[in-house]
Amino acid sequence: MNSLVYLWLFLKASLFSTGGTGNLPSLHDDLIVRHWATNREFAESLTIGQISPGPSGLWVISLGYLTNGLTGSLLAVVAIVLPPLLAILVQRIYERIQHHPSVEGFMSGLALSVCGIFIVILSILLKSNGLSIKSLAVAGIAIGFAATKKIPIPAILALAAIAGIGLELA
Amino acid sequence: MTNDPDRAAKVGSIQFKKPTLLIQFVVWSKLGLLSFGGGTATLSLIRRAVVDETGWIEPNEFTRNWALVLMVPGINLLGLTTLIGKKVGGAAGVFVALSGLLLPSVAITILLTALYTKVQHSRYVVAALSGVIPATVGVGLVTGWQIAQPVLTKCLKRGTVPLSVALVLFIGSALIELLVHWPVVAILLLSGALGALTQFAGPPNIGREEP
Repeated sequence: MNSLVYLWLFLKASLFSTGGTGNLPSLHDDLIVRHWATNREFAESLTIGQISPGPSGLWVISLGYLTNGLTGSLLAVVAIVLPPLLAILVQRIYERIQHHPSVEGFMSGLALSVCGIFIVILSILLKSNGLSIKSLAVAGIAIGFAATKKIPIPAILALAAIAGIGLELA
Repeated sequence: MTNDPDRAAKVGSIQFKKPTLLIQFVVWSKLGLLSFGGGTATLSLIRRAVVDETGWIEPNEFTRNWALVLMVPGINLLGLTTLIGKKVGGAAGVFVALSGLLLPSVAITILLTALYTKVQHSRYVVAALSGVIPATVGVGLVTGWQIAQPVLTKCLKRGTVPLSVALVLFIGSALIELLVHWPVVAILLLSGALGALTQFAGPPNIGREEP
């Protein structure tokens, strides 16, 4: 595993996306093909990212640790810190072109595309984790709980953990 | 620092009094430690700290910055932190803001992951994860929908053609990813280019997504 390539893949994923999990599609693409990460590791790191504090998007640090140890997690930190610095540049440019509708069109197109791809990848993660009536039911209930926006996400995951233990070991 | 009664007067009349780097660091690292519960909760906490409690930034400017960082690559909250850090303390302000916000949360994320690798083969952890992973997928699907939904709603209001373009970009990207498997960045850039070309989303609407 070449550290420079590894850093570039994380950085690229972050540079060509926006939001905390927008980098998932690109990273999934690159790391799975190279066998540097498994679907399982993606699912695990997304889960840990949901539990840990701070801005959403720290899941890649967990992915870095699972796939490349402490080095991997530190490279992931570098990769997520650099792109947001472009905010300073964007602020300058934006002051000049903010009224052009193409800017809005570009950003909206990007957002829709990320979401479309995102849904496909989440389905792949669910499938690779073992598709069953139980897992589909848990996913469905989690969708219902999350859609209310009232139940904290760590609470949803804690309930799912209890359900998992109950369904598998009872 | 907090609830300084003279703040309004200071900001309004004389010069905005710049807080020391140490104070900036303390404020940001408190935010990094307290912000359990993901993005939205963190955004509200940051707003309360930098607008209401310290008065480092005016409410309008905060909202404008937030709309702006939605267009910046990477994690939006880090872009916002960068802009506020710069406003308050220049380049050094950016550095203390990002490191203050990230040091505690990154350390906890790494510790959690390390802890997980120690126990991942325990049958209880395996069983728990068999529930948690599908739930994470479910929660992720809702998040994905919440990002797409405002764009789709806006296009629905604008008419049939903008809505059709939006649906083609949304569903088309999913189908290409599923069936053809182009590089993801190519799909994203193509969608962005088509969006810019068709101008389907209409004029910008600064201040949407007001936290």
